[in-house]
Amino acid sequence: MTDIADAVRTHQLFKRFGHQVAVGGVDLVVPRGSFAGLVGPNGAGKTTTLSMVTGLLRPDGGAVHIDGLDVWRDPLPVKGRIGVLPEGLRLFERLSGRELLSYNGQLRGIPRAEVEQRAEGLLKVMDLAESADKLVVDYSTGMRKKIGLAAALLHNPKVLFLDEPFEGVDPVSANTLVEVLQRYTASGSTVVFSSHVMELVERLCDWVSVMNRGQIVAQGPLDRVRAGRSLNEAFLGLVGVRGDGNGEEGLSWLGATSA
Amino acid sequence: MAGRDLGMSAAGGDGAVRVGPSVFVRLKLRLIAGNLRGSTQRLLGFVFTVIAAVVVASLGFLAMTMLRLAPADIATDVVIVLFTTFLVSWAIVPLLAFGLDDTLDPSRLSLFPLRTGQLAAGMFAASVTGVWPIATLIITAGAVAGLATGIGGVLLGVVAVLVQFALCIVTSRLVTTSLSGVLRTRRGRDVLAVSVIFFILAAQLPNLLLNGGLAGDLAGTLRGVASVLRWTPPGMAAHAIADGGAVAVAELAFLAVLTVVLGWLWIVALRRALVSTDASTEGASVRNSKGLLARVLPDGPLAAVATKELKYARRDPRGRVGWFAAVAVTGVMAFSLSRDGTGAGGVALAIAPACIGGVMIGLQSSNSFGIDGRSLWMNSVVYGTGRDWRTDLAGRHLAVMTIAAPLLAALSVVAALLAGNLVWAVPAALTAWGILGVGLGVGALTSVLLPYTVPERLNAFTGAAPGQGGVAFAASFGAMIGSSVLALPVALPVLLGLTWVSVLAVPYGLLISWGGRRIAGDLGFRRYPEILAGTSQPG
Repeated sequence: MTDIADAVRTHQLFKRFGHQVAVGGVDLVVPRGSFAGLVGPNGAGKTTTLSMVTGLLRPDGGAVHIDGLDVWRDPLPVKGRIGVLPEGLRLFERLSGRELLSYNGQLRGIPRAEVEQRAEGLLKVMDLAESADKLVVDYSTGMRKKIGLAAALLHNPKVLFLDEPFEGVDPVSANTLVEVLQRYTASGSTVVFSSHVMELVERLCDWVSVMNRGQIVAQGPLDRVRAGRSLNEAFLGLVGVRGDGNGEEGLSWLGATSA
Repeated sequence: MAGRDLGMSAAGGDGAVRVGPSVFVRLKLRLIAGNLRGSTQRLLGFVFTVIAAVVVASLGFLAMTMLRLAPADIATDVVIVLFTTFLVSWAIVPLLAFGLDDTLDPSRLSLFPLRTGQLAAGMFAASVTGVWPIATLIITAGAVAGLATGIGGVLLGVVAVLVQFALCIVTSRLVTTSLSGVLRTRRGRDVLAVSVIFFILAAQLPNLLLNGGLAGDLAGTLRGVASVLRWTPPGMAAHAIADGGAVAVAELAFLAVLTVVLGWLWIVALRRALVSTDASTEGASVRNSKGLLARVLPDGPLAAVATKELKYARRDPRGRVGWFAAVAVTGVMAFSLSRDGTGAGGVALAIAPACIGGVMIGLQSSNSFGIDGRSLWMNSVVYGTGRDWRTDLAGRHLAVMTIAAPLLAALSVVAALLAGNLVWAVPAALTAWGILGVGLGVGALTSVLLPYTVPERLNAFTGAAPGQGGVAFAASFGAMIGSSVLALPVALPVLLGLTWVSVLAVPYGLLISWGGRRIAGDLGFRRYPEILAGTSQPG
């Protein structure tokens, strides 16, 4: 039985590509109203997991529930509840930022006047008002992440999934993203985002899931996962890397004056 | 690591190796090999390319040799035209394929500690490495066998072949390098992508001219063309082989100087390309207009998809190329058809071009989601039923019809005027609209069953991402066969003269497109993760 108090709960989620198991039986849990971080090294299966959770990639096995609803069996009510910013900034490149937002709103059947009002507000908050009529193809990375987040927020979802929202984003844009997200969770909504940046996860999140090699290796409230250490130390310990920088012998020439 | 593997090490290091052209040749070979690794389809593609190159090279060489059987002046004229064609192709084709070959873009090499001269020699060597350059060299060498007379002629011929080959390569490098700055900007690539279509059309030109009644005086045409081209550099090379005397020596000396000058210009361009900045992203704003459709249609997904598609047809080079291609192919076919019309004419002559137009435009919708590609997730995270996907397809069809209906009507009027009776435009337009409807219905099915990626980097040689050529072929071929068969019940009677049947064409087309959307909507909803995967291949 699914616990209705959980915004996201997966059961033995499984995906393989060819012979390689990308996600090997993941039980991801995110309590409702939490600001959750999904951390893990490259290739740990974070993107694959998020894609399956958001209904973009069909799992080979297992189940996903959002607010107690099965994503793959009962997609209609789920799709209205979630907002998604997938990896790789895949947006409609030849629309302007404003057009992208109104396209999204209309697709979701929000009345046009309402869409325009919301879009205007989002563009202003995201500091995109000046570039609103430029094509997305000409946006910088930070602008793309911001317009992507605006599009994901437009229909006021209950759960927001963001894959690497801060990757390649300048500090000013990152700060804007953080402010918007904090305001959003303060109202009781749930955010799940994946990231490499431990300091950021530590600062923002109250719930952390650590993935490694297609498995969840630790999951829970931030303080329990880091257990007195910094999240970075705890993370390196969990994924099996010592953080003391051994193995330097092979690079003895690096920085030496002889060459 | 890669650096050491390639024998490149930083100047001043104790194990420094001189970086000669051979390093670049190995780099190129390694890029070719790396590109093939782990993909059977690409490997097969490469094998086919090699086989094609071998066949072309041997046939080309053989054909050149056979020129010896022709009268000497005609043989020389043929070689002059061929050499010029080679040079022009070498200047244009790599430009259209820009971005496909890593060694062509000097900016990727700018961080290596290499002098510009080294870089130029290396890039020259890298561009010579490949199946097509070698095939070109072999065919060019055939001219010696075909034209040269006496020992002196052969010796000078070999020199001429090498100079002509070097000229091709250096010109090609010069063109790509001096334009590489432009080609890296978004706008430059957009312009180039659309110009691909003109290149393809230009390639059709000789064919059209020959069909157009010039065939009778082929020899005369050849002589006329060759007498002009004779004084271009490749013409001189060809003439030098045939001449084999003092004039030839002078011509070759001139060509050698020219090649060196072009090479020097290339080095200058290279030096500048290495330090000039990358593309600017200062994009212009677009007008924030709603468009006609959005004003007419009720608020909602249908209007959203239809207006977005119309914007894409205008703003995305792939959209523009698609429409240009459909119109151009129709034009070419209608033109050849009207030339062939030796009595079968009459009303069919007015209706057939319009029907072809309907089929060609309908074919564009055989992969409706292809251009959305990686952005399609945005729709799929919204759609929760088969009905939503049906509405999405309807929006796409509506956009296509908005552009195509007036276009086909105009085409019908033109065809009817050419055929001699303006009234024939009415059955022609009705039939064409009906056929378009059939094409859209069938295309909806192939779009969900055989989706493939339309690469963002358009080039003239493929319309699908690497490895998806088969799917793309199956989709467009299936759509063509399917819509032709389904269109027959209305098209055939009309073409045979029962023009009143054309009244039924539009309702029939609407019925088929509705049926296609109905089936494709449910299929699309069930298969959407597969559609996403199919249209999001790295291209």
